[in-house]
Amino acid sequence: MMWHHHPRLVDLLAGEYALGTLQGGARRRFEKLLARRPDLAEAVARWNERMAPVLLALPPQTPAPGTWRAIEQRLGLQAPAAPMAWWRRLLQPAPAGALALGLLVGVMLPSLWQAQHGGPDTPASTQLPESYVGVLGLADGRPGLVVSSLRQGRTVDIKRVAAVPVPAGQVLYLWSLDASGQASPVAPLPQGPFVHLQLGAPAETVFAKAVELAVSLERKDASPQAPSGAYVYRGLCGKLWRVP
Amino acid sequence: MPSDELPKAVAQLLSRVVLRDASALQRLYQLVASRLLAVAVRVVQDRALAEDVLQEVFVHLWNRPQTGAPGQSLSLAWLCVVTRNRAIDTLRKRRPETSLHWRDADGQEQVHDAAAEGASPLEQLLAEEDGSRLGRCIGEIDSEPRSAVLLAYYEGLTHAELAQRLARPLGTVKAWMRRSLARLRDCMESCT
Repeated sequence: MMWHHHPRLVDLLAGEYALGTLQGGARRRFEKLLARRPDLAEAVARWNERMAPVLLALPPQTPAPGTWRAIEQRLGLQAPAAPMAWWRRLLQPAPAGALALGLLVGVMLPSLWQAQHGGPDTPASTQLPESYVGVLGLADGRPGLVVSSLRQGRTVDIKRVAAVPVPAGQVLYLWSLDASGQASPVAPLPQGPFVHLQLGAPAETVFAKAVELAVSLERKDASPQAPSGAYVYRGLCGKLWRVP
Repeated sequence: MPSDELPKAVAQLLSRVVLRDASALQRLYQLVASRLLAVAVRVVQDRALAEDVLQEVFVHLWNRPQTGAPGQSLSLAWLCVVTRNRAIDTLRKRRPETSLHWRDADGQEQVHDAAAEGASPLEQLLAEEDGSRLGRCIGEIDSEPRSAVLLAYYEGLTHAELAQRLARPLGTVKAWMRRSLARLRDCMESCT
């Protein structure tokens, strides 16, 4: 019998798999199908969600103080730092590609601006207009998106440097992250190598608390209040104007 | 942090960990390590070994944050399941050395007691608001099959190991599991 064509059998086998009682050849065959059958993966995920309260109901137990230190040591992580001001965050090491791109934005764009709007002797034309610029990296550190907007503008320009796959029924969704990492929804991003996003308010209002920008995958037509999954792009949000 | 805000905070931190945010990993540890340790201790029944499991979970989470979760969103529930599975793997590697009877650190004779293991988690589950639906549904399963389900879930026992532990024929245990899972699913779906 082709058991995987019968939803109730699929669900029961997924339950046995999630519980761990599916063993030997049956487990191997199930895992082989699991890798290419999203419905099986979803059935296992459903069982994991169903059974998780059993684990969450256990009384918490405080780990030994040395456990986190051991984890830090194994991962080569630095000791925790105090929260940093945004300008110090900008000086943190960035992935090489993102840094190079950032330099490109910082060095090349003013030159282009000068070339179009006057010579270097004209004080007003020697710098970019007041703008937000975000260079967002992929999870592997490669540069992925350049996001920019005039400070008082309502249009965000998005240049795609590296694409990520967007499954059917989903869209890329832009988030503004404050200093504590709290995400605020901005808007879904149109698809394309160079696109524009219309804001409902001036950029300065939308990005007032932005220290970083990030993009997640969300269900099409949804209005999420928090990212439903991992960010696919993320990076610093620079504010290109002089603070009095 | 209020417990109803925890899942959202964990999901946000996990999405930052995927992008290699070390401060998010530390914050995540502060928020959930005690819960994950409880899971690991429950499975391996050895505090030192459970601390090792906890370490492994966080090291793996940092190095390969998106593996092992096909079709499942990164969540507190997912972290608990990852911890349980890793603890079971650890236990299986050591199982040939594990006896059903042992002496604890105070020299007291201890024995795995299936009936006690089945009852206590259910009471805990019924006391938890989030788990009360599952608790009610598990409570509807007869006592011995319920013990089998909970032992399988907590300790990763196979059908054969369950048969041995519960002193029942293998076929009986397999039938218990199938029927219990079907009842559990039907009960939980009828509650939604």
